[in-house]
Amino acid sequence: MTKLKMTVNGQQVENDVEPASLLVEFLRGPLGLTGTHVGCDTAQCGACTVLLDGQPVKSCSILALQAQGRSVGTVEGLAAKGQVHALQEAFMATHGLQCGFCTPGMIMAAAGLLARNPKPTEEQIVYALEGNLCRCTGYVNIVAAVQQAASAMAGKQGGAA
Amino acid sequence: MSAVIQAPGRYGSGQSVRRIEDPALVAGRGQFTDDMSLPGQTHMVFLRSPYAHARILSVDAAAAKAMPGVVAVFSGADLVQAGVNPLSQPLPFPRPDGKPGATAMRRVLAHEVVRYVGEAVVAVVAETRIAAINAAEAVMVDYEELPCVVDAVQAMSGGAPALCPEAPDNIACEMRHGDAAAVTQAFAKAAHKVSVDIVNQRLAPSPMEPRVVLAYPESGTKRIVVQLSSQMPTAVRDGVSGSLNMDPGQIRVRVSDVGGGFGMKTGCYPEDVMAAFAARSLKRPVKWCSQRLEEFQASTHGRDIVSHAEMALDANGKVLGMRVRSVANVGAYASVTGVIIQLLVGPWVTTSVYDIQAIDLHLTAVMTNTMPLGAYRGAGRPEAIYTMERLMDAAAREMKLDPSELRRRNLIRPGQMPYTNPMQQVYDVGNFEKIMDQALALGDWKGFDARLADSKKRSKLRGRGVSTFLEWTSGNVFTEQVTVHVLPEGYIEIVSATQAMGQGIATSYAQLAVDVFGVPLDRIRIIQGDTDRANGFGSAGSRSLFVGGGAVKVASENTIEHAKKLAAQSLEASAADIEYRQGRFSVAGTDMAIGLFELAAGQADERITVEASATAGAPSWPNACHVCEVEVDPETGNVAIVAYASVNDIGNVVSPTIVRGQVDGGAVQGIGQALSERVVYDRDSGQLLTASFMDYAIPHVDIFRGFKTQFDTSIPCTTNVLGAKGVGELGTIGATPTVVTAVIDALARAGLGRDAEKLQMPLAAEQLWRALAKREFPPAPLG
Repeated sequence: MTKLKMTVNGQQVENDVEPASLLVEFLRGPLGLTGTHVGCDTAQCGACTVLLDGQPVKSCSILALQAQGRSVGTVEGLAAKGQVHALQEAFMATHGLQCGFCTPGMIMAAAGLLARNPKPTEEQIVYALEGNLCRCTGYVNIVAAVQQAASAMAGKQGGAA
Repeated sequence: MSAVIQAPGRYGSGQSVRRIEDPALVAGRGQFTDDMSLPGQTHMVFLRSPYAHARILSVDAAAAKAMPGVVAVFSGADLVQAGVNPLSQPLPFPRPDGKPGATAMRRVLAHEVVRYVGEAVVAVVAETRIAAINAAEAVMVDYEELPCVVDAVQAMSGGAPALCPEAPDNIACEMRHGDAAAVTQAFAKAAHKVSVDIVNQRLAPSPMEPRVVLAYPESGTKRIVVQLSSQMPTAVRDGVSGSLNMDPGQIRVRVSDVGGGFGMKTGCYPEDVMAAFAARSLKRPVKWCSQRLEEFQASTHGRDIVSHAEMALDANGKVLGMRVRSVANVGAYASVTGVIIQLLVGPWVTTSVYDIQAIDLHLTAVMTNTMPLGAYRGAGRPEAIYTMERLMDAAAREMKLDPSELRRRNLIRPGQMPYTNPMQQVYDVGNFEKIMDQALALGDWKGFDARLADSKKRSKLRGRGVSTFLEWTSGNVFTEQVTVHVLPEGYIEIVSATQAMGQGIATSYAQLAVDVFGVPLDRIRIIQGDTDRANGFGSAGSRSLFVGGGAVKVASENTIEHAKKLAAQSLEASAADIEYRQGRFSVAGTDMAIGLFELAAGQADERITVEASATAGAPSWPNACHVCEVEVDPETGNVAIVAYASVNDIGNVVSPTIVRGQVDGGAVQGIGQALSERVVYDRDSGQLLTASFMDYAIPHVDIFRGFKTQFDTSIPCTTNVLGAKGVGELGTIGATPTVVTAVIDALARAGLGRDAEKLQMPLAAEQLWRALAKREFPPAPLG
């Protein structure tokens, strides 16, 4: 067991972990953050996507200890003060999900995209979601949801400025 | 409880509403089975066969049992000794020699012989998952490898290894349908005859949530609770209890969020029984989480049928008859579901929307050393419709007719309804030409030449495809029961044995309840996935809305009628004078009134409970016309879908947003079959070569996003109370032939002519490049 310290959704956490423990296992197990899902074992599906220091990563493909001292964001931390995040709102508004299993990964991958590129083109959205698989929706409404969220977030920032 | 009830009009059926499922799912608060854990929970993993066909000589688990954290190790022999029954059921069709249909017995854990790579051989239960994985590696299984066969045509030819002694030719069963003599006559007088050779390749359904089972002893009873991801809770209850010699009431199956089903999560799997058996033996919770590798190896596959199909037409293009010879690969163990799909369900729609009465079908189900076949979105109908649409296209090309014109000449007319097809299936309503005309307009069929010229300028090969089709729905289980509870807390609970699996059925049911109760959507709670509360067939065959939803409507109406009597007592009035509106009963012409929930609170058991069932008179026959255009890059053979239009007749629509999602999402699955998906077993070793999402190519986000999708709601179904037709599988069934015929059209126009019809799915770039550059084509599967 090794001592692991990191920030998860803005909260300091400190735990003993097995060195072989994956980040997704740590999030889902000891932390009980089961919104991050595991859909494959070859880093193809992206259901486990979380933000590591703001960058989307597949949490099945890094060790928990690789997040030592860093900041992790999961879908549970998106809604600030109970206020639904623009991406969550847009996925609901556009019917961007059906079974919802891929959705947290989709949303986190999109959140990473919008953080570095607030006004992505459709092509850039497609590129950013290439590593996330969905079997239900056919993706059409997922791309639409990210576009809608980007507009909503841009509008909000514009209003504040 | 006199909460102000707001106007429900915007939330009833026919309205686009936000799904009630979504707030939890987008917040990461979904409850998929793997999200649940119990105190004292153990973890189970399976040691699976590395061979396609082998005799098990010995299983030595001594070293594994001695490892730290290991709780138990079970082998097939252990289960046989414990009296665990096999899962196989008698097949409903005979073998060619007249003997009963044959299959090797499918056991929970393989005993004496393994018959496919990935078959479960040993189950290891440990305190942690890592301990279980490590211990499984320490189990020594001695195998004697046997010759294997993975191809169905090869398996039924002489000299192939037999999977069970009852079927030396590996034929599980076969069926003939139609009138061979009439078809021979039709061909004798035909002006045109065409044939196509078809590979409808094996697919992995691949819902994103892998299967998970959490079985545990119920505290205070001798019952076992099986929590899992399934479309059919009652079938799992009956499968588990039957296998473990328990009364069905001794098993409680619970299902929470299901991360996609697509037919693959129907019925009872060996792992479900194993988890229940282990929980009963160990008196502890036992959890099994499938890895994606196991999903590919050991969750049922779909399709896998090869055909030689022929069609006879008169000089005007009227179809006189058709003949289809098919061989279906049903895997190592022939299941009732696996054989019915190909030998009966597909044939029901063989003639589709066309007026064809002479058919001659000969279908053979063959066992091979591969994962058993089961339902996958469409289940039999995609195969039959694909064959028909390919024949129609071949005939149109042969006769140099516009493919939509040939179809038009053969469509069943509205005046022929109700129409009985040669499989004795009765279509109640349909106006297929009207649907086709709208789709041709939506897809601008007439304007194709201009786009063709534009593609040519860019050195792209453009092609177009059109499919007109229908499908059978219901699973032929027509009755659903629903229980309504009006609760004093201000909620109406609706309990159904159908099962949500991501399709949004809870929202649609809630909308139907809003129609009747006139309360806001958030007052309705849909309860599913608990065999202690409701039992039935479950969700499959696109039946949940038009069968289960009908029961929601009827039970809701009965609840109001019953509650009117209770209100009359409460208000000391005559029931005939009670009026109901938006959650409130009042006495006509007075100001005396009582709220629905207040009334519930006043009952002896503090609720109003009504049970009711509804029965649909027949399957519904949803139908559609899809139109697609593709561009093929002649340099690479790569296919791009560039336009897609569909007009769909699913009768009355309850949730417009949801049905659109079903059709478009379903179409993308159908496109996956057309262009990229294929399960491959190595012919010599029987190893599964497509066991991850790296090798099995489901569509990614870049597949296509320009769907023009419309619904014609002017032709409601006449055999159910909602006037609705099933929609869950329609898009998938239509997309595959439409995309394939568009690609064939592109290559035929590029100089390949009718040779382009030799292409086989999936239409991956390499195959198209070989066809274009080298005139190389795959061989005909039936010689």
